[in-house]
Amino acid sequence: MKTTFKFSLIALLATSAFACTEDTPEPVVPLEAILVEDLAAPNDVIDRTTGQVTEVKPFQFFSLEENALVAENEDWDLAFKGTTIRVNASKNVTAAVVTGIFNEIAEVPASASFATDSGESFAIPTGSGNGWYNYNSATFTVTPIPGRVILVKTTDGNYSKIEILSYYKGNPPAAELNPMTTPSAHYTFRYILQPNGTTTF
Amino acid sequence: MFRINLNKIILLFSLTVHSVFAGSDIVKQIRDEKGSPIPHATVQAKGSPAIVVDKDGKIQTELAESESILIFALGYEPLQISWEDWIAQDIFVLKEKAGSLQEVVVAATRTDRTVEDLPLPVNVLNEKSIQETGGIRLSEILREQTGLQISGDHGTGLQMQGLDSDYILILLDGEPLIGRTAGTFDLDRISVSNIERIEILRGPSSAIYGSEAMAGVVNIITKSTEEETRLDLGLRHRSFNSWNPYADLGFSKGKWSTKLFYDYMSTEGYDLTPELIGQTQNPYQAQTIQLKINGKLHPNWDVGLFGRGYLENSTGELETSGTSGSELLNLDNSRRDFNFNPTLRFTPNSKILMTLRGMSSWFSTVADTRFNSDGGIFDFQDFNQFYHRTELQTDFQIKENQLLTLGIGHLIETVEATRYEGTNRFDAGYLFLQHQWDPGKKTNIISGLRADFHSQYGNRLSPKISGQYRLTENFSWQASVGAGFKAPDFRQLLLNFNNAAAGYYVFGSTLAQEGIEKLQNEGLIARILLDPANLGDLKAESSWALNTGFRWKVNPKFLWVGNAYRNHINDLIETAPIAQLVTGQNAFSYFNISQVITQGIETDLSYQATGNLQLSVGYAFLDTQDAEVLDRIDAGELFKRDAQNRTRRVVRSDYGGLFNRSQHSGNIKINYQDQWTGIDFALRAIYRGKFGFADLNGNLILDDESEYAPGWVSVNLTASKTLKNGIFLEVGATNLFNVQTTFEPTNPGRVLFAGLKIPFANLIQTK
Repeated sequence: MKTTFKFSLIALLATSAFACTEDTPEPVVPLEAILVEDLAAPNDVIDRTTGQVTEVKPFQFFSLEENALVAENEDWDLAFKGTTIRVNASKNVTAAVVTGIFNEIAEVPASASFATDSGESFAIPTGSGNGWYNYNSATFTVTPIPGRVILVKTTDGNYSKIEILSYYKGNPPAAELNPMTTPSAHYTFRYILQPNGTTTF
Repeated sequence: MFRINLNKIILLFSLTVHSVFAGSDIVKQIRDEKGSPIPHATVQAKGSPAIVVDKDGKIQTELAESESILIFALGYEPLQISWEDWIAQDIFVLKEKAGSLQEVVVAATRTDRTVEDLPLPVNVLNEKSIQETGGIRLSEILREQTGLQISGDHGTGLQMQGLDSDYILILLDGEPLIGRTAGTFDLDRISVSNIERIEILRGPSSAIYGSEAMAGVVNIITKSTEEETRLDLGLRHRSFNSWNPYADLGFSKGKWSTKLFYDYMSTEGYDLTPELIGQTQNPYQAQTIQLKINGKLHPNWDVGLFGRGYLENSTGELETSGTSGSELLNLDNSRRDFNFNPTLRFTPNSKILMTLRGMSSWFSTVADTRFNSDGGIFDFQDFNQFYHRTELQTDFQIKENQLLTLGIGHLIETVEATRYEGTNRFDAGYLFLQHQWDPGKKTNIISGLRADFHSQYGNRLSPKISGQYRLTENFSWQASVGAGFKAPDFRQLLLNFNNAAAGYYVFGSTLAQEGIEKLQNEGLIARILLDPANLGDLKAESSWALNTGFRWKVNPKFLWVGNAYRNHINDLIETAPIAQLVTGQNAFSYFNISQVITQGIETDLSYQATGNLQLSVGYAFLDTQDAEVLDRIDAGELFKRDAQNRTRRVVRSDYGGLFNRSQHSGNIKINYQDQWTGIDFALRAIYRGKFGFADLNGNLILDDESEYAPGWVSVNLTASKTLKNGIFLEVGATNLFNVQTTFEPTNPGRVLFAGLKIPFANLIQTK
């Protein structure tokens, strides 16, 4: 896994307009979008004839604050395995899935319903079409649903927005992807973390 | 000219039975422009019954003297001559009609009418046009027709007016064929060696046929015996080591005729993806046996018996990734199909015809998949379907220009399969009424109404009205408005399926509540997305359609036909999740969700350049859209990602409609008979435009250039010759330039073929 800083975002008009009305204007720091590439999170091995799990794989625990994989007992925000993404319920991490364009989401919408994982449901719903991906049973391909953005309130109480770009190694363009040969369960995503605790990005 | 046709049925039928072989010195012959005899032409002295010529186009009967003689044959311009000319000449030449407006169509009205009398978009493929494709299976004939597409999805399915195989009714001699896999009727189950003609009726025909006839109807008419004896043996060989021997045996004596047909097909199949284990088409062997008996019990009573059996076995390999890496699987699949249709026809007088039909069909499949290593069972599926229908149809000639048809029937359908619990049964009854009316010389109107009463999905009324107006002798305009519907099938109502490997469930709508409760009791449900108790019953999919077109005989050699259509389909059934499981997977059921529109234009031009050269051009434009997708685009809820991973909203101009639809398609056909050698050449170029094959960018709709498969042209050439003694030889190639695409698994690339047919009875008789 490697992390790069590729995307930058100009501070939002709303924020700057608000800032201008202050007597002592704060310098506007553009938030950087962080690109995480090829986070490998292999799924359990399933015997296809019986549906039984024959080999359990571990979740991969990721901290948005640190932009790094961490241990399960550390302050992780998200955990990945196969197409499942958990949030850290024990540290009160919550998440919501909203529809929109990543760059256009300037603020956590009031309508976003944040939830955490429970024994019965996931904050980021699993299953094709429910959460962040569609599964095409004709081409056997998992594709992130364009326009789905995951909002996460981290262990530190900061908001971040995440867009998952690819489930396949090397983030191949859709047309070049062969689900039979390209390794899956390799997440590429980008996110912006607002470290000051506000709901704007 | 024949008008309303009850008379004609009786006329043709009685003619077939009373073939005339009276001894006489007078021999006259009816020929076409190429000098070949026209079998089954009729010669009628004014005021006397018509007489059918024999298979050599000869008539040996003395006609009663009258003022004029009419010589008539389907597909030819009728010839009217004086008594003096009839006496003076021995050979009479009929001119071939451009196009096929004189062909008789049964499918459109369930009575015999010629194409040009029908206010509906209909065309007929006769034996000659079937033969010149060199095809062995039905799909190979239909794929060359304007506006029809063949697509591979659980079999070789047909697409008509932008609608899939599920919505097209396939009839064999007027009776529905059953046995669909995931909605697709596999056209490769039908051998064409004994097909006399194929009627293709476009637009909804639920007003007479009920369910399934939403996009249209294909009626396959098998040959009947007209000769005293017939024994045709044929053999065809083609690429992929395919062999197709067949025998066609027929004899008729007095009031009875019998026809027996046997066809064997064996192929090694083909593979478009050799890098993967398993072939695109697996090797298979198929046998068809068919028996047809017709007879006259009494001058007013006719009886018919039809039986057909089909047996197919295929084998193949497949690779699966299991616990210990990938494993090889052996597939052993079989399909059986058996039909039995007795018919009783009663004509108490020339105004009434009553037809009682029984029809029973059995269809079964077995799919046995085993591990190659130890022969252990990987998967076993069987499926058994039974369908029975009894129907009484009464045709009543009210006046010379009005024909009323009344039908009443009931049907029983049962299914028993691995994926369904127990034996399931549907019962249905129906009534239909049809009125054919020629109010004036220039106008004809057909109106129909059918009521279906079904044990599972309730009652339905399907009306249809169509009319034709002849602006001039050579130009007619047609329009029709009709309703179509498709009943939910067994799968949509009764499926009880658990995909163990992927961990999801699919329940038919009637089992959804029970299935979800069971999963709930087992603690497997995380949350209910839609409460199955509130879902209500699954409704039939329904449509309204408008068809309007023209037929224009520009001049005697030039025919132009066209039709524009628009189908509005409501309550389209699709799967959607109803509950989320604790594993994160879903349980699905079937719902009436979508609204779809298909619309387009189809046109054919044919030109008889000379007696031995014919040209034709066909073009089809198709536009399809899912109304729900358009709503979501307008609401800004659909997004796409470009190659640089930038997300943006989908706009209407991105949307390409339904998958697997070609906006443009067409064909060019050239038929030429070489006068020196007598060889018939049929050269066809069939174009299928680009079409969407799958969603790649994750928004599930067709909206990106990468989601289209490229179009292609298949160039097909057949050369055939019928020798003087009747032996028929053919050689040719389909897809001459070997244009292959993995996006269309039913297109194997280049296929070479050669064939031979020997009419033994003919050979013996002529010696």
